Parts: sequence; structure tokens; C-alpha cells
Amino acid sequence: MPEIFINGQAVQAQANQTVMQAALANGFYIPYFCWHPQLSIAGNCRICTVQVEGRSWVEIACNMPVTEGLHVLTDSDLVREHRKATMQFITLNHPVDCGICDKAGECTLQDYHFAYNGSPSVSREPKVHATKYHDLSARIMLDNERCILCSRCVRFTREISKSNALGIKNRGDVSLVRAAEDSPLDGDPYSDNVIDICPVGALLSKPFLHKARVWYLQPTPSVCPGCERGCSVDIWHRKAEWRLRALDPAQNTSIARVTPRENPAVNGPWICNKGRDLAQVFERPRADQAMRKGKPVELPAAIAAVRQLIDGAKRPVALLSNWGSNEELAAFKDAFGGRFATFVKRDHEPVPGERLEDDLLIRPDKNPNTAGARALFGESSLATPAFPADTDLVLVWGEGCNFARLPAGAKVVFLNAYLQPENGHADVFIPISVQTERAGHYTNFAGVVSGFERCFEKKSSVADAQELFAALAVEASVAS
Amino acid sequence: MPGTQLLMTFPVTATSHTLADYVARDGYATLRRALATMKPEEITREVTASGLLGHGGAAFPAGRKWGVVHLNDHQPHYLCANADEGEPGTFKDRWILEHAPHLLLESMLLASYALQVRNAFVYIRGEFDLPYRRLAAAVEEAYAAGYFGANIMGSEFSCDVVIYRGAGSYVCGEASGLLSSIEGKRGYPRNRPPRLTVQGLFKRPTVVNNVETLANIAGIVARGADAYKKVGTAKCPGTQLVSISGHIAKPGVYEVEYGYPMAKFLFEDCGGMLPGMKLKCIVPGGISTKVLTAAEVAPLTFDHQSFAAAGSSLGSGGMIAIAEGTCMVRLLQVMLRFYHHESCGQCTPCREGMGWMHRIIDRIVAGQGQPEDIDSLVRISRLQDGMTICGMGDAAGYATIGILDKYRGEFEHWIREKRSLLEGNLEGAVHA
Amino acid sequence: MKHLIPEFEKLKARFPAGFESSLVLPCVRRIQEDRGFVADADIDGLVEYLGVPRIQIEEVLSYYTQFRRAAIGRWHLQACRNVTCSMRSAERLIDHLSRRLGVAPGQTTPDGMFTLSTAECLGSCGTAPVVMVNDTYHENMSIEKLDRLLEELKRA
Repeated sequence: MPEIFINGQAVQAQANQTVMQAALANGFYIPYFCWHPQLSIAGNCRICTVQVEGRSWVEIACNMPVTEGLHVLTDSDLVREHRKATMQFITLNHPVDCGICDKAGECTLQDYHFAYNGSPSVSREPKVHATKYHDLSARIMLDNERCILCSRCVRFTREISKSNALGIKNRGDVSLVRAAEDSPLDGDPYSDNVIDICPVGALLSKPFLHKARVWYLQPTPSVCPGCERGCSVDIWHRKAEWRLRALDPAQNTSIARVTPRENPAVNGPWICNKGRDLAQVFERPRADQAMRKGKPVELPAAIAAVRQLIDGAKRPVALLSNWGSNEELAAFKDAFGGRFATFVKRDHEPVPGERLEDDLLIRPDKNPNTAGARALFGESSLATPAFPADTDLVLVWGEGCNFARLPAGAKVVFLNAYLQPENGHADVFIPISVQTERAGHYTNFAGVVSGFERCFEKKSSVADAQELFAALAVEASVAS
Repeated sequence: MPGTQLLMTFPVTATSHTLADYVARDGYATLRRALATMKPEEITREVTASGLLGHGGAAFPAGRKWGVVHLNDHQPHYLCANADEGEPGTFKDRWILEHAPHLLLESMLLASYALQVRNAFVYIRGEFDLPYRRLAAAVEEAYAAGYFGANIMGSEFSCDVVIYRGAGSYVCGEASGLLSSIEGKRGYPRNRPPRLTVQGLFKRPTVVNNVETLANIAGIVARGADAYKKVGTAKCPGTQLVSISGHIAKPGVYEVEYGYPMAKFLFEDCGGMLPGMKLKCIVPGGISTKVLTAAEVAPLTFDHQSFAAAGSSLGSGGMIAIAEGTCMVRLLQVMLRFYHHESCGQCTPCREGMGWMHRIIDRIVAGQGQPEDIDSLVRISRLQDGMTICGMGDAAGYATIGILDKYRGEFEHWIREKRSLLEGNLEGAVHA
Repeated sequence: MKHLIPEFEKLKARFPAGFESSLVLPCVRRIQEDRGFVADADIDGLVEYLGVPRIQIEEVLSYYTQFRRAAIGRWHLQACRNVTCSMRSAERLIDHLSRRLGVAPGQTTPDGMFTLSTAECLGSCGTAPVVMVNDTYHENMSIEKLDRLLEELKRA
């Protein structure tokens, strides 16, 4: 373990580390654009310069191996001068159009300008213009004027997603990031990660384009339910203090965007595009009215009706949801124990064209909590449901149920979050919350448990499954 | 003849470049002897002892570069001859490629034997036509004669060579950019570490030597390091090819022994300036070296120490003699246009700085210069120096600062008067 | 490009195994010699033949100045205008060429005969000024020699 000295302070470094890695691991900040912990070293942005004590020049920290007794300065006069110069070079042809840029507020270039430059432009020359709006893919736009050619996105598609979709065309100050002409970026299910790793506002999400200033938004930690990987994500939504009143209040309770939340145990810094599109899952038309045989009733009346059906059933079967959290599934088990013959169905199946599995993140089971359900109800619960001939009650929780296969004559209790024709056919229908309206945990395929927090309040006419099962359990125990 | 000649030792005729003529000049005899009697490390020892300097521009000792390669390390090693001669003012490797291609090939075989190289490459600039055809013909002759391929001359040593043609990129003349190009990619130079002799072509140990550097190997192995060191000066053994052009009476390629007086070289060997012209200054080693005024260059001797003491460098040996009456503002404009055109765009200071400097000087020439523009050019040059992945940031800076230091008045005049002191003339003035 | 594959195979034989990526530049050069430029179908063919990512070929084509993706004139005149050539009258020569051909550098004459380009150092400073016509260097050029050359090319 080499000992090095950063700004005079002794630091224990790992033998194969660079100065950048050793500095960051020990609380010294060195700025960087092109460097990324998960990508190869490009060393092209030149902002991470440091000075080895006693030398009259600066070198880049991202490509400098640590050696025993190395003394580096991260904030000497020379380093500051060169950082400022590098910022001047980088912004020379940058449009500085932060006012209309989605990246503003979370832009490395903005932050570094205030930290390391802060002066007005010293150039008199007109800026080099480039493509202002380029369709890089169906999901991503590219503003070449903002691009600083750090090549992170290019390296991502070569080293991480392996689609080799992106490259840099031309040369010199008219170099342009471009997708290969047969547009493999459209087929890259990880493409949107390049938006996150872009240190400037060059790569932007089309669905999020000009939708919100990021400082009006807050991230809530969550778990992507798109497959059994259970990637950690941040769900971004409007901050309470910036709630809209007159103008489109629906924005207050909608998902603005989803980004990865770094979690080395599950997904590292990446997620797939499916995880970005959770609004398409959770913002489908919602059921918010309890019903008995299609007739609206108040939620308490519906719950009483369910209790009555359970109390009267001789052979009840439950089809549970593998989108239920560990807490909800446990509440069901606590409430009913062996009262139901219990099966856990697959709420979602892969859609046509969806990548089934790969060696990066994507897993074949497109549901978040099969492993959690298995732990509570056993492997046999995951089998295709076998309905005894005299089944007289089926409790269906969540999506993915083929109602035509349910035993004829059995009463049906249906708990569902979305508008669906079957809602009205059930003997009792109870609308329930979605993941963004509650907190809980999922267990992923590898046994890692990840928690999600609540983003939005559910409607009062919508039940929370965990509370519902607990309420039914109390009633059941009182009744017995 | 400017001193002892080691490479230009034969009269150039219509057939002097062919295998038959080369063999008649004892060609490939050194290879035969070395394969029969020398161990690989003995060749490296001889090259190291000779003090042979790299002739690509940096004058790094060839033996020290070779010494980094570990023999018997169970991985392929590669050798690349750098024939991507693109530094403006430099055309000396062309002479070897056109007139002594077999000398290069025999030297490359000796180097390959010394460095345990199975596959060697010659990276030649894409525009070269005759040099390529001459070299390609020589390679075919050498293959047919059994000098390349498996078990050369009945020995255990096998070696293949590929001529790899560039396609128009100055940066590919930089060793790591050259390797990126041979890998079939854009010619982006690479950060060091790792050194190319540790991780070069496809991440394997690779020696990249300039054509002229390599061409000296056969002579050093044939005659020994001591004989080589007798030529030149103590610190600069041997000779260097100089390509001289510009307003000079006899432009062309000369082999100059280190230590040779510059005044004699310019005014006797090269015939002095074009009729009626007077020397204003000289670009000593490709445009990326600082210009030296006539007064500065006259007392120098031809060696690295002498030129370094004068604040410049012999670089790649590409000399350009510039006559009085030549407008240095326009000259720098041409140079900066070149650097801007050739910046690969990979790293920030060069990608942005080259265009910035080019636009500033274009504006000055357009009569819209501002007094602070000169300081801006100096400042940008200084801040690029040492900050780029390859040496191009430094190179453009040397060219710029060299001219601004000595001819600042011409720039101030153009900015102040909105026109050239010398009518923008690049062709030199003829004095009656 | 399919008809060139036997040639590519010969080329490949002198490279070490595993150097398919290296063949991009030589194959592109050969395709361009054959067709005059590199067409989309050539890129597709090379991707299939070499197994390299398409983006690598696209990058190479846009990076190197000698490669082109569209046809140019029958005679490509590339006049060097770097330091030594400019010192030996290249700028006047280029102006003359431009006037004679009626096109600016970068353009092709309407009859498709000539494309005029400027070049930045062709490594022929000792014989400046130099004009490259297709693959051939014409050295020590002058306005008179250039006029004669144009006439010869028109007749050729």
C-alpha cells in the first residue's frame, strides 16, 4: 500500500490506483469531466490537472499512477491557472444557453465555471456553431454546441452496453458525437444512461425535454419493478414547496423522470430504459372506486363485504401479486396464515420485442418481488394455480390474472390499482395503491432487499394492501 | 558535402533503389552475419553504445527506447517504422523510401531480430505515391529473395512486414496516433503511461522508430558502435538528414554530420539564398520549432546542443529558409491554419485552442486586430504547452511564440495600421 | 466491394492473426480506388467482412482527409498551400487554378472533369510548389506548367 501525500497530507492508496482514485477515496476533490469510475480512462478533458511538488508543470490525475512517496498538489497556483484555462477552452465554443437547457442546475460545467473560472469570456471570436438539435435516437436528443467531446457516452456504448452505437465523427473543433448510421442506439436498452453521464446538457431525454427545471424537483429513492433485478432508482417529482396550483396540478403527482440511484450491490450506476419509463406503468388510468358487482360502494362497505365472503368460504384460494412488497405479502400471511390455498402469480410477462436477459442488468422475470414471495410462501406457491373442484372464493391481487381460468361459481374478490374491465365483474372490487404511493421493500433475484419510499399521497378512496390485510386480520380474529 | 556521409553513400541512379544494386553494395550481408553470429541482445547493446538518436524530432536515444522491451516475455512485440512524414518542411524520409528502401528493410529486420519482433510495419503517409511504390516493390523483392517470411536465411528468425498507408492525418505521425491508425481507427494519440514499449499496438510492447533512425541500424551493426561514434560530436553522434526548402538556392535533402558549421551548410552546400534574396530567418526543424534569425543561426554548429542553446531545436531536420521581405504575420497565419486543420479534436486545449488562435490571426489579417491579440496568442500558446495528449499543443505554441518573440513589430504594425508591413508577401523580396 | 474480397484475403495474410480491425484503412482505400468513393453498401459489406462495428468505419471515413463518401471529378487537383509551397507562389497558383477552372477550392467543375482542393503539406517542400493530380505529385509547378498540365489532362 503506497503512501502518497495530497496537499501535504499523508494518504494510504491502493497499489493499482490512480491519483484521482486515491484522492476521491480519501476526501480530496479533483474536478473531472471525462473521467468516470466505471469507464476506461480517456484523459481528454484536461480539467483534472494536479502538480507534482517540485515540478514546474501540471499533469492529469486520472491517468497518474500512485507511487510511493508521491507528493501532489490539487490546488496550487499553477493548477488553478491551468484549470481556469481549461474552463476557458471548454466554454470557448459552448453556447452558455443555460436558460433553455434542461441540465441547468445539475450541470458539471456550470458548477465548475463557478468553482474554477467565474470570469466573463476572454474571447472576441464568434462561436463555432454546430447542430443544435440532433435526433440521436427515438429517446435522446443531442445538442452538439453544448457537447464538450468528453467521450463518456461513446465509451459507455462500447464498454458497458456494448452496442457500439456511438462515435465521434470528423475531427478538430468540428468533431461531432454521432450514432452509427444503422442507428443501433434505438436498439440499446441501456441508451439513456448516456444522458445521466453526460457532464453537460448535450444529451437530453426527449420525454423530459423542457418539462421541468430540475430545481423544482426532488428525488425519492425507489426500486424499479421492471424485472427481478430491482435496480435502485430515484423517482423525480415536483417538490412540495413548488406545488403548482393554477397551472396543471396533475404535475404535482406525476413522475417527472426516473434516474439510477447508484447501488453497487444491485445495479452500479446504471439502469435500463424500462426503468426510465415507470410513468408508463404507474400513470395508466387508475381505479379509485370500490365496487360490488360493478356497483360503486364506499371503501368500508367493500371491505365488510370481503370479510363476509372470507368468513363464509370453505375452500378459498388466493392469487397474490409478485408486485406486492415484502411488507404487504407478510401482512397477508400474518392475516390469513393457512386460511387460503395461496399462489403467487406473475403480474407481468415480457412484452414482445423486450430483451429477456443479458449479462449486465436485465433479468428474465419481469416482476420485482418473486424472490420475496418465494421466501414467505415457498417455491410451490409459484406453480400454476391448481383450483380444487369446490373452490368457492378466489382473492385476486394485482394484474396478470386470466379470469376465464377461475373456477366457475367461485366468488371473486379483486384488488387492483388500474382501470380494467374485470374490475366490474368481481363480486367485490377494491382499488389499491401503487408503489409510488407507499413505502416497502422488494427482495431481488440474488436475495438483496431494497426499499422504496413514498412519492405521492394515495387517494382516500384507494386502499393500501398492507393496511387492508391487517384490517381484515383484526376482524377475523375478533370474529373467531 | 556537409561532412561524413553514412546514408547517402552511393550515387542515385535509375536502379540504385533496387535489390540487385543494394546487394551489389553489400546489402543484406549485415543481416546474414548478424543472424549467424549475433544474439538479439548484442544488437541492442551495439545500438545503445552507438548513442544513435531518434530522428523523428525528439532526439530520444534509440537504444534507451529499445531497452524497455523485455525479451522472452511470452508475448508478441511489434516494430513500426514511422514514415508518416508530415511535419511541414520535412521530406527527408522520402529520400530513404525512394532511394534506399532496402537499407530501411534490412535495418528493420535487424531491429526485429534484436527485439524479437515477428511482425513489423511501415506506416507511410497516404499521399506519398512514389515512395510507397518504391517501398512496396522493395518489400516484394525482399520476400522473393527470402529476406522476409519464415526462417530467414535458414535461421530460426522469422519476420513479416506490412506497409500500412495512412489516409491524411498529421497526428498519425505521433507514435501513439500512428498505432491507433494501424489498429484501423481514427488517429487519436494516447495518454502516457503506459509507454508504447510497454503497451503499444493492440496493447503489446511496440517500438516505433522514425525511418531515418532505423535506416542507421544496418550501418551501426555492420561497422560497430565505435565507428558510428567517430562521426559527429560527443553528444550527438552520427549524422542527420536535413530537408531544406524555402527561399534557398538548392533545396533538397542533405546528410549533415553533427557539428558541421551552419553558415557553411546554408551558404555553401545549399548555395545560399535564391538570387537577390537575403536570409531573414530560418525554421530549423519543422514548423513546430522556434524560428532563428539570420544572425542567430549563422554562428551555430549543426547539433542539438548548439540549437538548444539558441532557444530552438533541430527537430525533424525540416529547415525552411525565409528571405527578407517575407511577412511573418501571414507566415504564422499559414502555420496556425495548418495546426487548426490537423487537430484531431480529442483533447480540450488543442481542439479549442488551435481554432481560437487561427481565428485570432485571421482577424488580425482582416484588419480587425486588437492590441491585446498578441498577448492572447502568447497566452493560449503557453497554456496549451504540455497540456495536450500528444505534443501538438506544445508544437503550435513553439511556432507561435518563436515568431511573436522575434517579429512582434510586424504584428503590431498590422493591428495598428490594418495592413501588412510587408504587403502580406510570402515569396520574399529580391534586392537589386 | 464483394469482388475485392479475394484481394482483401491476400492483404490479411500478411497481418498477424486477430488484426481484422487493422484492415479497415487498407480496405477502405482499395474500395475508394475501385469506385472513386465509399458507398453505404461498401460500409455494410466491410462490417460483414471484417466484423468491426459500423461506427468504427464511419469514424475513419470522416476523420481522414483522403477518404470520401461521394464522387468527385475525374481529376482531383490538390494544391499544397502550406508554408514552403506558399513561399514558392502556391497562393497565386491556387488563385490561377480557381480562375481557370471557374470553381473555388472544394468544388468540382460542372463537366465533372476537375475537382480543386487545397492541401496542407504533402511532404514535397523541396520541390515546392506541388500539385497532386489523383495519386501523382507534380512538383516545381508554375503557372505555365500548370496550364500545360490542364490541357494534357483535358485531352487524356
